[in-house]
Amino acid sequence: MEEIINSNGKLCEFLKKMIIDTLRLEDITPGDIENEASLFKDGLGLDSIDALELVVAIEKIFNIIIEDEDVGKKAFASVNALAVFIQDGYQRALKN
Amino acid sequence: MKWLETDDVVRFNEVDEWGIAWHGHYMAWFEVGRMALLRRFDLLPRQMVELGVIAPVIRLKCDFKHPAVCGDSIIVRTTVIKPEIAALTFKFEVLLKENQRLLAQGETTQVFLTTSKKMIYRISGELAKRIDTLIRYCQKE
Repeated sequence: MEEIINSNGKLCEFLKKMIIDTLRLEDITPGDIENEASLFKDGLGLDSIDALELVVAIEKIFNIIIEDEDVGKKAFASVNALAVFIQDGYQRALKN
Repeated sequence: MKWLETDDVVRFNEVDEWGIAWHGHYMAWFEVGRMALLRRFDLLPRQMVELGVIAPVIRLKCDFKHPAVCGDSIIVRTTVIKPEIAALTFKFEVLLKENQRLLAQGETTQVFLTTSKKMIYRISGELAKRIDTLIRYCQKE
């Protein structure tokens, strides 16, 4: 997992697969999701309930907690934003 | 799983032109069950507001099994399960009191928002404590 977290490209691909698996998105492949596209509204079209499911998946896989919508808005802005959020969280955990 | 039971009677104003209970009223009966259960655990809507949260319903399902008619005595059975996400799911059964025949069964899911309408991703503090007590009660055999 450390190898994936340390590589932005690998982490983005991992997160795309995680989003598809967690939300059981049919007819969408990782290749359909752009790194910078919004996960909500005009982008992937996820909703706030999908966010709750992703929060649980992220906590399970990365042991990183997204407390509320304020944090979630930044973390779920795009796949790349989520990757950066997880990398930051991972670095903070290493320091503590 | 433990179910809380509340009694009710199908009123004249709850039946339709065909003499059977209108489907929308089952939701009101579910609400009677929900409030009875929440009251026991200090989780009534105003008490949630005191804790800084509201809990809107975001999903509702109902299967109608048998029609109720005006004057029928009914039992609303209510329990709660805790989904993995920060939400609460209530399960309901409406039975005919005289023979326990199942009239309908349904389910609602509520999420939690702060009173300033921001979604809560993790339930914590006093709210988590009260919800845990509610869940433990409903998990009893």
